[in-house]
Amino acid sequence: MITFRLLEAAAAFLIAGALGALITARRGRRGAWVSVVAVSGAAILMVASAVRAFRGGGDPEVSALPIRALGAALRIHVDPLSAVFLCLAGPIALLTTLYSVEYMGRFVRDGLTKYYPVLLILFLAIGGTVVTTDLFWFLVFWELMTLTSFVLVIFERESREAHRAGLKYFVWNQGAALGLMGAALVLWRRAGSFDFEAIRVSLATLLDTAPVTGHAVLFLFFFGFATKAGILPMGTWLPDAYTAAPTSVTAAFGGTMTKLGIYGLLRVFLHLLPLGPATTIWGIVIAVAGLTSLFAGTLSALKQDDAKRLMSYHVIGQVGYMFFGVGAGIALMQTDPLLGTLGLVAGLFHLINNSLYKPCLFLGAGAVEYRTGSRSLSALGGGLGGVMAGTMACSLVASLAIAGVPPLNGFTSKWLLYATGILGAESSFLLPVAALVAMFISIVTLASFVKYVAGAFLGAPVVTPAGAPPIRDVPATMLAPQYVLAGACLVVGLAPFAVLRLVHQAIVGLPSMIGAPDFASLLGGSNTTLALARDGITLASWAPVPLTAVLLILGIAAYVGLQRAGGVVTRRVPVWACGEEENPAELRYRADSLYRPFKDVFHGMYPRMPVVRFEFPDFLRRTLDLDHWLYQPLARGTQGAVRGVSRTHVGIPQVYLLWIIIGAVAVILTVLLVTGGAP
Amino acid sequence: MSATILKVAALAILNVALVLLLSPLYEGLLRKLKATLHSRMGPPVFQPFLDTLKLLGKEDLLTVQHPAYAVAPAAALASVLLLATIIPIGGAPPLAFAGDVIGVVYVASMSAVLLILTAFASGSPYAAVGGSREMMSLLSVEPVVAVTLVVGAMKAGTLSVAGIADWNAAHGPTISMTLAGVALFLAVQAQAGKLPFDIPEADQEVMGGPLVEQSGPRLALFRWTMWARQLVFSLLLVELFFPWPRTGVLAADAPLALLKALVVLVLVAVVDVVNPRLKVEQAMGYYLRVALSSLAAMAFAVVGM
Repeated sequence: MITFRLLEAAAAFLIAGALGALITARRGRRGAWVSVVAVSGAAILMVASAVRAFRGGGDPEVSALPIRALGAALRIHVDPLSAVFLCLAGPIALLTTLYSVEYMGRFVRDGLTKYYPVLLILFLAIGGTVVTTDLFWFLVFWELMTLTSFVLVIFERESREAHRAGLKYFVWNQGAALGLMGAALVLWRRAGSFDFEAIRVSLATLLDTAPVTGHAVLFLFFFGFATKAGILPMGTWLPDAYTAAPTSVTAAFGGTMTKLGIYGLLRVFLHLLPLGPATTIWGIVIAVAGLTSLFAGTLSALKQDDAKRLMSYHVIGQVGYMFFGVGAGIALMQTDPLLGTLGLVAGLFHLINNSLYKPCLFLGAGAVEYRTGSRSLSALGGGLGGVMAGTMACSLVASLAIAGVPPLNGFTSKWLLYATGILGAESSFLLPVAALVAMFISIVTLASFVKYVAGAFLGAPVVTPAGAPPIRDVPATMLAPQYVLAGACLVVGLAPFAVLRLVHQAIVGLPSMIGAPDFASLLGGSNTTLALARDGITLASWAPVPLTAVLLILGIAAYVGLQRAGGVVTRRVPVWACGEEENPAELRYRADSLYRPFKDVFHGMYPRMPVVRFEFPDFLRRTLDLDHWLYQPLARGTQGAVRGVSRTHVGIPQVYLLWIIIGAVAVILTVLLVTGGAP
Repeated sequence: MSATILKVAALAILNVALVLLLSPLYEGLLRKLKATLHSRMGPPVFQPFLDTLKLLGKEDLLTVQHPAYAVAPAAALASVLLLATIIPIGGAPPLAFAGDVIGVVYVASMSAVLLILTAFASGSPYAAVGGSREMMSLLSVEPVVAVTLVVGAMKAGTLSVAGIADWNAAHGPTISMTLAGVALFLAVQAQAGKLPFDIPEADQEVMGGPLVEQSGPRLALFRWTMWARQLVFSLLLVELFFPWPRTGVLAADAPLALLKALVVLVLVAVVDVVNPRLKVEQAMGYYLRVALSSLAAMAFAVVGM
């Protein structure tokens, strides 16, 4: 009950904040600060309820607002899996709202009336989606999330790209959501209730009695969640929508919203679906989908010039890693519970890591855009590092984290994923191949983030044109969220143990995870070393703190004992251009020239992103076009009729008299005909 | 407990010292060998030490003033020395508990990452071209290294570096491990930055590429990093894929491993002498083919050969 009260209060905070922001939206920053206060209240309450769930397994399910005719009710239960997502959604919501305060000042033409209230409702929807155990309300929150995020994507009302991206976003996600509803309805007809427990039973019987329908239902679930997560080819909406939305919103999307696709997958395939042959099949499907996305998405990212678009393609790539881990885990769960659990833990842990570095990267790109007005890496040409030192430091840490450079957090989750793949060789030889593809893509990720960091921050200092104000670092409210996230990348990288324990708790708490190994037998009980062992033989090990300590000692020794041993003088010199005297702007190596030969080698393999245009079929367009078959014919008909009537009105009394006589005769004749001549 | 820690620390210091002190010596030997093949006198064997010593006392010219830029050379060298502590040199890897083959792959790429970032940070367009090439070389070589180590992991059934070495020492040569060893040997050529794959540095084209703005102690440390890197990679190659014969005594195995590593580097140097530099795309095509053919080693590993 306490959990329910906490969440109720969080929802109240968000709704009150939305109303408050709506009222104060026109008064400068006041609406922004109202939202920050409301979101921080909600975030604290969300994390508090999550802590309760981690501590004692959570409170029993509470249901409210029953709809008896449907068998639906707002059932609220926070299990460890929900708690993981609450712990991410709350703080990231707070950081992005805080970032918005200054950042949204860029949009002078668009009123903030449609920003903060909608953003807060989006956070409410995200929170609601992960805590309900009722499929009906899950879909209600899911729809609310899709709608509010759509409004945020088309926030810039004068941008045609935003509208096009918004339409694409809406059609894909609404289509996917309709699929989810269809799947829910099929299950509800059999279960008579939307309760997860009842659905679980009905899904099992459905798969036994009507396997085709059962798999169709699972396909609809997979399709819905993969679309939201941005898995290719459904994820084509993602780079457009992420680029079009204001950057603070993009960070919130990347940190929370699209990750709910993974939440949905775990809920359906490990909670609603009991382990069986179907889980193995769908595990393989999920893993293959993930592998495709991580390959195609990341390679496409390499050739992007727009910083936000580059990162958006990486969202697709990163979500591919998660799908691969989760899918491999689900598929292996029955034959090899140790590696199965490892894969699932890896997928979910990668999600947490991604929710730390990805928003940080987006916020960094937003900061650059805020100060320079540009997102094009070629146009920026580097050199911002000197004037935006804080932003650069955070972006660099986050870039190295996403590329998996040890000891940052990205390495730990990738290590778990690769270990699952390579050691899974006994189950399928394709798993090590998949792990190799993932390792290769990890270097591609590194390459594209080197391109971002070099294109925006590194190199000779920028020269501001005469008269323009010098570029400074962004205000504290925009820097603080970046510092928090970059710091979290480092802390989670060095001490992943506590987080991994929670992730493990979340995974094994799912009803289908019977026979999953406990944490000590999965990754060892030590608090300095992660060691995967089977039958007493160490299979893989990773100890971030000792390695970092040794690296630091060696680094200090090399710096003090070698580099500075001579006590030499340092001198600041200009870049040596081999004697040529050139304009500094011409001396830059533009970001779009980077790795060109590599891109050419992969040209044939380069997956061209399928550009899906929304050409409605002709009949549908005609059907939807009310002008065409309703309004215009109606208007034309009315007009014609009126013109006909007006033609009779000629303004001559004799003609009117003639009409009256003709009318009277007609009436008399009609009466005679009807009565048949009888009086 | 403390005895174990002391032993680990002693072994780690030994590995670091061996790599740190022998890598310039090996470079000197290779230069002498190359000179002989060129029919030149060549510099004395200890020339790399002398060069380093001289560079350490030179004025340090910086184009950028940033703390991270200042410490990058030391960090690069430290990352390679860290790599030396998680691979075996005669004995078990000192920090075996801390890193497995995935750790090896990623720690090995750290020095390259630092070099690339330093190159871009220096602001020279030549360095940027070099950095871009270095990245592409990493993109093409790293998969080869990864495939070979994964083959080892599949054969031994563990990701632990020591586990793979022990398994190979105990089981004798197998087709898959030999193929993987050959592929790793081909990768060492580029990891060592030798012709025909010295594309990032390419003195005649981009004037040292990433190193064009590095001078004095910074240049010395980056050079040392490269020498150490080529030694560490050849040690990894001989210890994992050609560990025979093995006596089990550190005093005998370590010199043997170092000798075998020297043989590997001599072969690398010979390839260096007789080949002209490739273009980037040729090198990438080459390593793509190597990576794909080393998948054959994986296939052999799957069928247990």
